[in-house]
Parts: sequence; structure tokens; C-alpha cells
Amino acid sequence: MLTNILAISKNTFRETIRDRILLSAFFVIIAIIVFTLFIASISLEQSTRMIIDFSVTAIYALQIFVAIFIGSMLIYKEIERKTFYLLLPKPISRIEIIIGKCLGLTLTTIAVTLLSTLVLFAVLFFQSGQLFFWPIMLSLFLSTLEAILLILISILFSGITSPILASVSTIAFFVIGHAEGVFRYIFMTTKIPALEMITKAVYYTLPNLEKFNVRNEIIHGNTLPLPTLVVVILYGITYAILLLVITQRAFKNKDY
Amino acid sequence: MNDIIISNLSKTYGTGKKKVCVVKNISLTVEKGTVFGFIGPNGAGKTSTIKMLVGLSHPTSGTITIKGGSPDEQKVKQVLGFMPESPLFYQYLTGGEFLDFIATLFKIEKKKEKIKHVLTEVHLLHAQDKRIRTYSKGMLQRLGLAQAIINDPEILFLDEPLDGLDPLGRAEVKKIILSLKEQGKTIFINTHILGDVSEICDKVGVIDNGEMLAIDTPTKLSHGYRDLEDAFVHMIEVVRATKQSATATATATSF
Repeated sequence: MLTNILAISKNTFRETIRDRILLSAFFVIIAIIVFTLFIASISLEQSTRMIIDFSVTAIYALQIFVAIFIGSMLIYKEIERKTFYLLLPKPISRIEIIIGKCLGLTLTTIAVTLLSTLVLFAVLFFQSGQLFFWPIMLSLFLSTLEAILLILISILFSGITSPILASVSTIAFFVIGHAEGVFRYIFMTTKIPALEMITKAVYYTLPNLEKFNVRNEIIHGNTLPLPTLVVVILYGITYAILLLVITQRAFKNKDY
Repeated sequence: MNDIIISNLSKTYGTGKKKVCVVKNISLTVEKGTVFGFIGPNGAGKTSTIKMLVGLSHPTSGTITIKGGSPDEQKVKQVLGFMPESPLFYQYLTGGEFLDFIATLFKIEKKKEKIKHVLTEVHLLHAQDKRIRTYSKGMLQRLGLAQAIINDPEILFLDEPLDGLDPLGRAEVKKIILSLKEQGKTIFINTHILGDVSEICDKVGVIDNGEMLAIDTPTKLSHGYRDLEDAFVHMIEVVRATKQSATATATATSF
């Protein structure tokens, strides 16, 4: 099983890392990170904070871009180009393909994250002579977890619909996932029972992606307490397993 | 001994008024070490059948037994080779890299030697380090054949292996298929190019509009006709005319 998953993930990594859209997006993010040096130069007393704020958000945007837009194309391209016809009759199960695809795109996300983080560290070192290693790494680790969930969601949608619809659906998940406060406010204040029921259902069933957002905390120099961090990681893993099960069910009896 | 047993196989796509039955209750067997030609016009149901045979889609009803198991079983997939119609590959890989990827899925030992051997067999060794996107149609077809035989399969499914090739390319692919036949492989070929069928196939099944019209040896099927193509055209025309007149009669009766 592991050999097959690794073969698919290696192939997916090779495919996505050579994607011109990804390369363009990556260079735009690098340019933004370097450009923060200019923003820092006009920010009185706040230069380091501005660099971290802009750059961490830019890297996060890159991760989400990879997860949503590249993820939405992954399975669809296999079906559209009929490369699935070469893959599925081989001794490999559909769940191995899904896990391999997810792992491959996760590796791509990690690779572009690490490269852009290195540029960020270089910019920070150049600007202040200091390194803010752990808080930034923690923030990017959690946003990578969020990206993995979005990769799974986009893979699920890309297997059952077109890339555009898959992207739109994953973006909807992303927006809802970050609007937990809005949903909580609605179901706590509304007097319409049906609306209360719907918002409660959305709030409790869809992933709460805000749990992975510690960008504000790190800018203010705060870190996440260890028990909270463990809970967030377990939450991410549980949700990933749940999404894998749903995706496996969706792909199990699908005809190509 | 039969390597492939198909019993009352049907496939329907869609639901309600959009329901389309593309394969209608077909049954056939393919003996070990023989070549079976599945012939029919475009849209007859050949590709839908072969997709079910290799596990790409699932029958609506009926059963498929390959080497005593289901096409979804891993042990069956291990001894299968499949070449889809006009195969498309990962464009960013080289031919060698692609075969390495496929060999990994089959857990083939001594991959490099095996890849070299297979590429030599399909006359593609010179292009193993070239990106697939630079390959010609004939080269793609041969790479499709290479990935289908890399696991030294006992049963091969080839969907339109001669389609879109020039006479030279066709002769080359035909030669490879004949050499596989000599090696004792069980081969199931989908095709609508009938010229080469008599030469390659031991038995032929004719399908039209999802229905199996006849199964016999090429010699028996073409008996009394100029050649197999002539017999095939006549058979299809007669069946379609009979159906049309039956439909017309039924419509007239209902009025």
C-alpha cells in the first residue's frame, strides 16, 4: 500500500511543482515578501511587524491557492486527459490514489511554503538582524494543516464536478470555515427556528478553519498554549480522516 | 480453460428519461492463449464493455470473471494489461519515467532492465529520455502498448490499438500483437479496422447498438462473402433493417 501511495505522491509532486501557474504564483509571493522591505522602511517603529504581517499572510494565500486551484484540477485532469484509464486497471486501489494525490500536493505546499519562508527569514534578518523562527513556523505549520483539509475537500469535489465548480465549492467551504463567529451569532440571536437549525448544522458539521489561524497572535508576540495546539492538531487530523472516508466513498463505485 | 467469462452483461447510463442502455445482455467466453476480436461500428458498445472488463466502470447487471476473479480484485489486476483507445499520458514525464512509475505500481523487481526490455520490444528505446509531449501518435500508441505489457500480463485488453496509425505504424503494432500471441497471451482486442482482424484473431464477436450479433471464427463469419468486412457490413445492415421494419410495424399497429 505504502509503495503505491508514494509512487502516486511522487508523480503528483512532479506534476504540480512543474505547473506554470504555481510557479507564477510562487514568484509573485516572493516579490511581495521582498517588497515588504519597502513597506517596512515607511512604517515607523513597526517595520518588523509589518514584514511578518504581510509576508505570513502572503505565504498563507499561496498555500490556499495551491490547495484550492491546483487541488481542484488534480482528479479532473486525470479524468479529462484519461490518464485514469492507465492508472485504475493497475494493482492500485482508489483510496491509495486519493491519499497519494493528497500527499503529493501537500508536499508541493510544504515545498513552496519552506522556500518562501526562507526568503522571509532572509528579509527579516536583513532588516533587523534577528530571527523570529518559532512563532512564524508555528503559524505556517497550522496554515499547512488548514491547506491539507482544503486539498482533501478540493480533491473530493474535483472527482465529482468540473474544476470551476470544484474551486467555487472549496472556496465556499473556505469562507464558511472562517465565518464561524457569524454563524454562532446568527443561531444564537435569530428567532426563526429553521434558520437557527440550518446555521447550527453548518456551524457544527463544517470545519472551523479559524482554529488554524494564529497569525494575529504571532504578530503580537503571543504563542499558542501547548494543550490548545494539541487540540487543534487533533481536530485537523480527525477532520482529515473524515474527509478521506467521504472521498473514498464518493470514488468507490464511480464509473470512468 | 476460459480466461474471460462474460455472462448477461448490461450497462445503463443515466436515470429516468435520460436512461441509455449501451451494453445489452451480452455473454461470451475467451479461451486461454487465444485472441478475441470485438468488432463493431463506432458507438456500438465496445469501449463500454472493455471499461467494465478492466474495472474502470461497473456493470448494471451481469457478471465478469477474469482468471476466476472479479476485475476489481488486486490479484486479477496484477495479471492484466490494458491499453486504452488513443492513450494519453502525463506530458511532463519522459517515456522512461512513465514506465518506471507503472513498474512501481506492479512492484516489478529490476525495473531498469524490464523497462529497457519492454521499450526495445516496442521499438521506443531511443526515445525513453524524451518528454512524452514530443512523441508522435505512433510513439504514443507504442508507449501505450509498453505500459500494458510491462508486467508480462497473462491477459491483454487492447482498445483500438491500430486506430489513427499510418500503414507503417499499423504494421509495427500488428507485429507486436502477433508476437504477444505467439507468447501465448490471451488477448481481447476492440477494433473497427477489420482488415487485420482475420490475421490476428482466433475468434470474433460482432456488436452493434449494445447487442451481440454473432460470435465465431473469422473464417466462418466471412464464409460466402468477399471478406470479413463485407460480411460485417452485411450483418449490420440486415439487423438494422429488420429492427427498423419491426419499429415501423409496431408504430403502425399502435395507430
